[in-house]
Order: sequence, then C-alpha cells, then structure tokens
Amino acid sequence: MELNPRDIVPEFWYNIIPDLPRPLPPPRDPPGADFSRIDLLRDIMPQEVLRQQFTVERFVKIPEEVRDRYLNIGRPTPLLRARKLEEKLRTPARIYFKYEGATPTGSHKINAAIPQAYYAQAEGISAVTTETGAGQWGTAVALAASMFGLKSSVFMVRVSYEQKPMRKTIMNLYGADVYASPTNFTEAGKRALSRDPNHPGSLGIAMSEAVEYALKQRWKYLVGSVLDVVLLYQSVIGLETSTQLEAVGEEPDVLIGCVGGGSNFGGFAFPFLGHGTKARLIAVGPAEVPKFSSGKYEYDYPDEAGLLPMIKMLTLGREYVPPPIYAGGLRYHGVAPSLSLLMQEGRVEWREYEEPEIFEAAKLFSETQGIVPAPESAHAVKAVVDEAMRAKRDGERRTIAFNLSGHGLLDLSNYESMMKRFKS
Amino acid sequence: MRKLVVYDTLGFPTPQDFLKFSEGLKGAGCDIYEVGLPPKYAKYDGPVIRRSHQTVSKFGDLSGSLKEAVEVSKVPVVVLTYLEEHLDRLREFLKSLRESKVEGVLFPDLLIDFPDQLEAVVSKVRSEGLKNVIFTAPSVPDSIIKRSGEITDMFLYYGVRPTTGIPIPVDVGALIRRVRNMVRSDLIVGFGLSSESDLRSALRAGADGVAVGTALITELEGRGVTGGLALVRKYREILDGA
Ligand SMILES: Cc1ncc(COP(=O)(O)O)c(C=O)c1O
Repeated sequence: MELNPRDIVPEFWYNIIPDLPRPLPPPRDPPGADFSRIDLLRDIMPQEVLRQQFTVERFVKIPEEVRDRYLNIGRPTPLLRARKLEEKLRTPARIYFKYEGATPTGSHKINAAIPQAYYAQAEGISAVTTETGAGQWGTAVALAASMFGLKSSVFMVRVSYEQKPMRKTIMNLYGADVYASPTNFTEAGKRALSRDPNHPGSLGIAMSEAVEYALKQRWKYLVGSVLDVVLLYQSVIGLETSTQLEAVGEEPDVLIGCVGGGSNFGGFAFPFLGHGTKARLIAVGPAEVPKFSSGKYEYDYPDEAGLLPMIKMLTLGREYVPPPIYAGGLRYHGVAPSLSLLMQEGRVEWREYEEPEIFEAAKLFSETQGIVPAPESAHAVKAVVDEAMRAKRDGERRTIAFNLSGHGLLDLSNYESMMKRFKS
Repeated sequence: MRKLVVYDTLGFPTPQDFLKFSEGLKGAGCDIYEVGLPPKYAKYDGPVIRRSHQTVSKFGDLSGSLKEAVEVSKVPVVVLTYLEEHLDRLREFLKSLRESKVEGVLFPDLLIDFPDQLEAVVSKVRSEGLKNVIFTAPSVPDSIIKRSGEITDMFLYYGVRPTTGIPIPVDVGALIRRVRNMVRSDLIVGFGLSSESDLRSALRAGADGVAVGTALITELEGRGVTGGLALVRKYREILDGA
C-alpha cells in the first residue's frame, strides 16, 4: 500500500506517562534548597515547552506550523529493510531500520528542536542556547533557530569540538555561535577549568553553561534529551515507524535503539508500548559509560552544576566525567526518567558494548547497507546483529526494528582513528 | 456543595495564632482542614511552605497544638505528612493521630515512592480508625488513578503541579478532565492553585473542590490571622459563585 507523507507524519505526539506501570517520580527540589530549581525552570524554558513537560495527556496536538516543518525537512523519514545485512548474516530475521539520518541535520535531534524553537519564537523570545555533545543536537538547534528567526549559541563539549571541526562549520553556516565548553564565561565553566585547565568537557557541564548563559542573557534554553517533553517530541519517530510497518504487514518482535539521554530510544519505542506491543525492547549504551550496569536509580541533577531540578533516573552521578569515547552523544551520566523506570521494572532490557565491537558493527553495516551510521547509532546496530544471530540460532523469523538515529558522515575522523586502532 | 480544603502548617505562624486561625476556619467557610507536619525533607513543597516549616521548627513539640486545633476547628482534620518518616513506627504514629481525634491522613509520597505498599498502608490506616486521603498527581498512570479513586476514603487529592506554590504553567482544565472521567470519589484539586482563574477552571473541569495552602501561608505571614481568614472567606465566595 502506498502511503502519502501526510498520512504518515502524525498529528499528535504520544506521551508514555499515563501508560507507565507505576507513577513517574516527579522533578524535585533538593532537601534544604537555597532556591527553587522548579521555579527557575520558568525562566529557563519556553512556557509552552514547560507546560508540555508537566501536562501529561496521552496525546498532544502537534501545531500545524510544526507539522509543516516536519514535512518540509523530509519527514516521514524512510523505514528501510536491511536485506543485504540479513543476507550477510544469513539470518531468518527480518531487519527494518528507521533512518533518522535522512533529516537535513543528519539525526533525529531536529524533531525536538523544531517545536521548542517554534514555541520560543511564538512567545517573543529572540535567542536560544543549548549544549551539544556529538554536535548533532547543536546542529539541530542551530537550524531550528534559523527557521524561526532566532539567534542561537551552542556550548559544545570540548573533545567533540576538537574531534569534529566540521560540526562547528555547519552550525556557523546556520548562523549559530559555537563555543568549546568549558568556557570561561560562565561560573560552571570557570569551576571546571579551575579543576583542570585542559578539561575535556562533559555534557553535564555544557548543559550547566547553556542554562546559566540563557539565564544571564534572558534567553531561553532548549532541552536536547532526558526530560519527558523531549521524548514526547521524539515520538514522531515511533509513530511513523508503526504506520510504516503496518503498511508492509509487519509487527515487531524486537525494538532496539541506542541511549544517550534516552530521547531517540523513547521516541522510537514508546509509541509501540502505547499500542500494547508484546515486543522485547532493548536499550543500548557504551561499556565505557556503564550507566545501565553500574548506575544507581536515584534522584540526581540532569546538569553538572545542579541548576535544573533533580529527577529520578539511572545515573552515574552528575559529576561523572565520561572517558572521551568516540560516541560523543552517549557521554552522559543519566537516563530519561520514564526509560529508567521501565528498565527498573524489567520492561526494557539493556546491553553495553565496547568500542571495538561497535566499530565492527558499524563497518558491517556500512559495507552491506552503504550507510555509515553515527557511532551512537552503531551501538543499536551491534545489538541488532546479536539479535539477528540469536534468531538464527533459535531458527525463528523474528522481525527486528531499530532506530538508526543518525548518519556518521561527520564522524569520519573518529572512524579513521578507530580503523587505525582496530586495524580492520 | 463545593468543598474548600484549607492548609496550614502545624503551629504556623505561631502556636497561638495557629489556634486562632483554626478556630475561625469553619465560620469562614472551610470544610476540611489539612494540617501539615513539618517534614525532614519537604519533597513537594515550594519555598513558601518550606519557610513555614522552618518557622515552626523553633517552637519545639507541637503535638498538643494538633489536638487543640482539632477541638477548636470543628471541621474534619486531615494530617499531611510524609510516609517515609513513619515507616518504622507507622502504627504508633497512626494511633497518636487517632488520639488527637484527627479524621484522616494524607501521605503525599505514598504513590510516588511506595506504590507497592498502597493497599497495605490503606488498610493499616483504616484499622487504626482513621480515613485515607490518597494523593495523586498528573504523573500517576491511569490504572493507579482509577484504583486510588476506588480506595480513598474521604476524597481523592489531585496535585496539578509538581510542587506547591510555584505557578508552573499547566493546563489545569485538561489535567483534571483526564482524571475526572476515571474516578467517582470526590476530587479535590490543589498544588499551586490560588488565582481565581485557576480555581474556576478547576471547578469547570469537574473538581468537587479545591485545596489552598501557599496563598494562605503568605497571607498569614503578612496580615496575620485576620488576613488569613479573610482570604478563606474569599475562596468560599469563589466556590459558591462559580
Ligand atoms: C545520532 C545520535 N544518536 C543518539 C544520540 C543520543 O541521544 P538520545 O539518547 O537523546 O537519543 C545522539 C546524541 O547526541 C546522537 O547524536
């Protein structure tokens, strides 16, 4: 059945919260708080974004202007079958992937940047800030801001800034200012630099810098992941996928995605939970940032400086500085509250893989399907390969669907370094 | 008739004025009196109510005030306190409330931090001769809101904002309509409700009443008992007129 793009891009975002197996612990101020971080959110975020963060209706209407932009940047993204990968693995499994790399900025991040920039502009805001790890979120904010006539400033984790100069170029092309974080124009940045003048940076620190800067300038801060509202916006991925799979007469047995803060995973997989899927859900992360295996489920700050309210999540601690692994977008200490809860309940399984295995999977996918995955997304690919081999052992024709959250064409220096180190 | 639930922190603003305020409540139009015990960690309270906790912490043991407040207020008293603080001596604690002639008890952290103990706690409260007021929030899933509506004794308390006293922009009407359709019990809405328009949209969306706290604490701080009671009367008028 041929589907028109307008029939695939949803009219409502899906919110998992009313369907969770137990109540989602709400954001909190810390004990003996000197000021209310929850109150501060009103200065930090666009009002409508904040309202959607706390209004937990199951379906939230996507404004027409936002849906138009989704269509305009090429949504729906394709759902493709990885036949050549299947053949190479000689697996009876059918492997489908949602290709979020097909957006102009190269990843799913634009899905959450567009509505936030739209709401900021609608409220008369003139400029926005954010942080970026891999550079994908910063690029998405830079583009979304320029679409709605806003200025933008992006704090980019220093290791990524150095590893990926081209990311900065794109953001500059879209009109954004880009700074290597930690900088010395915020208190959070100065503190980090005084601990270590060559601080590699972390998403937590960059986030604190962006929030602090937004407050100082009276701009708004756009959230890239972790908070419920971002998973809400990203639900376009899973809602589209569900329609597209249905059109080819498939129902998934396994759903897989990588996890930095949890937004592409939640956006991809949660709408299926909303439909009552029986599929297994697998969240994948790097062994170098072992939050699934070693994280604690407790209240912690999303940002390093603790300017944002505490949220209950799987976390390695806000001061955790991840090693400078190649997948910058996965270098984050926590996991989105709703995803953390589903992992605690055992509804979502997890895997952690090491860099060499990820590299192998990325190479295999590139050779068979021609798409170079973002190193973040390559984590999902590795789990897909394992599940496909498992289906083969079990002799079962399972349907595996995964989210290819972005392409890796701006991560080539990382791939080159991996090729040298792992000599394949 | 719409119910007006009034919150004050035990012993606030001073033990004497607390009693005076308690005494005037019924006449001012309050139906249910919610008395908060100052907790170690006020997880869901905003800056204003936290400040009231600090104030009363200077007054020492206030358990006598609770008993007196019940006597003079002549409306049912519900005690608000965090379950976390009573877990190891829950029965003794409930007994002491009963001895003070308190009618019901509300644990704001029951569903959030101890969802697996919901049924056990509810029956323990009943077996000590007290009534349950279950506290729910927008982040509580449908299935649990429905169950809470079935087992709560006095009414279902629905906190529409993540913390008291901070005007986070929420769509009060939409939040209430979602829950209204799921429960038959009385639905009392609170947390950050104080503006007249918030109150009206809560009632229009099907709330059976409202709970107000932060605005009253602020009034008690600024204008004392007279101001506090005047504000209670004003809320009563809004409820009756809406
Ligand atoms: C391509 C790609 N995938 C995944 C992630 C991880 O973030 P999230 O878990 O929020 O999807 C990132 C973050 O930068 C990314 O760039």
